[in-house]
Amino acid sequence: MAVRRPAQRPAQGADERLLVQNAQSDPAKFDVLYELHFERIYYFIVRRVRDRATAEDLTSEVFHKALVNLGNYEWRGAPFSAWLFRIAANALADQYKRASREQPSSDNAQDPEEHPDLSSPDLEVIDYHAHFFRLVDHLPSVQRQVIRERFVEQRSIREIADRLKKTEGAIKQLQFRALQTLRAQMEGGHA
Amino acid sequence: MPKRSPAVQLDLAIDALLVALQPEPEPNPSPALAQLIPIARALSDLPRPDFKAALKSDLQRRTTMNEATAPAPESSRAAQFRRPNFPNIAPYFLVKDAPQFIDFLVSAFEGTERIRVPRPDGSIMHAEVAIGNSVIELGDANEQYPQRSMTTHLYVPDADATYARALEAGATPVYAPTDEHPSGDRWGEAKDPFGNTWYIATRKGWVAGPEGVLTVQPYLHLRNAHDMIPFIEAALGAKATGIHKSPDGIVRHATIEIAGATFEIDEAQGESQPTQSYLHVYVPDTDAVYAQALTAGAKGEHAPYTAPYGDRAASITDPFGNTWFLATYLGEAQP
Repeated sequence: MAVRRPAQRPAQGADERLLVQNAQSDPAKFDVLYELHFERIYYFIVRRVRDRATAEDLTSEVFHKALVNLGNYEWRGAPFSAWLFRIAANALADQYKRASREQPSSDNAQDPEEHPDLSSPDLEVIDYHAHFFRLVDHLPSVQRQVIRERFVEQRSIREIADRLKKTEGAIKQLQFRALQTLRAQMEGGHA
Repeated sequence: MPKRSPAVQLDLAIDALLVALQPEPEPNPSPALAQLIPIARALSDLPRPDFKAALKSDLQRRTTMNEATAPAPESSRAAQFRRPNFPNIAPYFLVKDAPQFIDFLVSAFEGTERIRVPRPDGSIMHAEVAIGNSVIELGDANEQYPQRSMTTHLYVPDADATYARALEAGATPVYAPTDEHPSGDRWGEAKDPFGNTWYIATRKGWVAGPEGVLTVQPYLHLRNAHDMIPFIEAALGAKATGIHKSPDGIVRHATIEIAGATFEIDEAQGESQPTQSYLHVYVPDTDAVYAQALTAGAKGEHAPYTAPYGDRAASITDPFGNTWFLATYLGEAQP
């Protein structure tokens, strides 16, 4: 998928600094930062681990650590996301080490030293996919449901048709239209 | 062959992305279809909305309860509700000659007997045998809990050696360990003299979690296995991972995690017909899980009670006929 600049970018500069300061003085406001960055951190992680369950565990670990350590965060001009990505990179490196210990002879064992992308994430690609994930929330409700059942729950067309009380052909059409809509929106056009 | 519509072609391509048993995607897709394939690929990384909402809720709870500075690792929570040295969902075998079954487990799988609670008549009320990093529980069958033939998946360092020991101990061969098993693991199968099936495997390319692969995992062959996933998620707060389905929705294999421990399911077929199992699982809150399990369609067998050995315990039967012994460890300070 060609990477294009997303229509909305996370808060930058002074705005983001203010959001961080607000959360530091009132941790209940951390959820604003969470909403801004969840998709980016999740995408950064899920592309580097094998399965959804591990991605969820590590994403959870990143935000819990960020919340616990938010008081130690010092604004030095870099985006807040850079701090989150560093926490995520450490969590991934730990995960790789565990996998290597369990599977020392496997080609799949991963050495964190061999993964420079942990320290220099491609922010444009990450922003693009984070924006893409959010677009799913804005699909018409039936299309959104079909997409989630199909891609998140990994249900078959037959199962989805049974659950939504529609024909399999109708589900395939809804799926097709949803992907057309998403593609058009990512390309900046109209579905 | 009649030409397939774009929607059908797209779905074939999506099947190829999502399922293990892949149909061949349409060769040379049209340019319009080719543009949608990367969209489908990106959607396969879509986060679960339930997960995003649950994590947000968890973070909010920590901030409102002034817990933000306290560590909240899963491992510490798990340690609180799980009895020490009890990492797995334990198959609970009820057999007609429990002492002999213990001998079999010790000989075949290098098990270590760690608890034996006899009844006055010499039969065994409860026993535990450690195998690798996991535990198996057992007792003599009775009228209330009759013997059942169960299937268990063992991950061992050397499947061939364990398989040979199992045969020496009296097991009947089904097939010797082979690298040709669809799982990709080295995998063999044997039946013990008590009617139970054992999958004996040495893992290749599978990572269970930070603590490593659990040696013992119950394995359930089910009729309409796909119905187990929503049930167990709603009833026991489980999480299904690695679901492999055929294009028509049949579950070929799934691993299901409950509070950090796992069991496996697939659709019953051929020699692997449905059986009912006894399973013992530690959960964070037995009372809450029991209530939600009944809401999800389980049948209550024993309402929550505080057992003399220090667990909050209860039991249910799932819609497939399996009996689940639920437990929450109350700690050494409890009676």
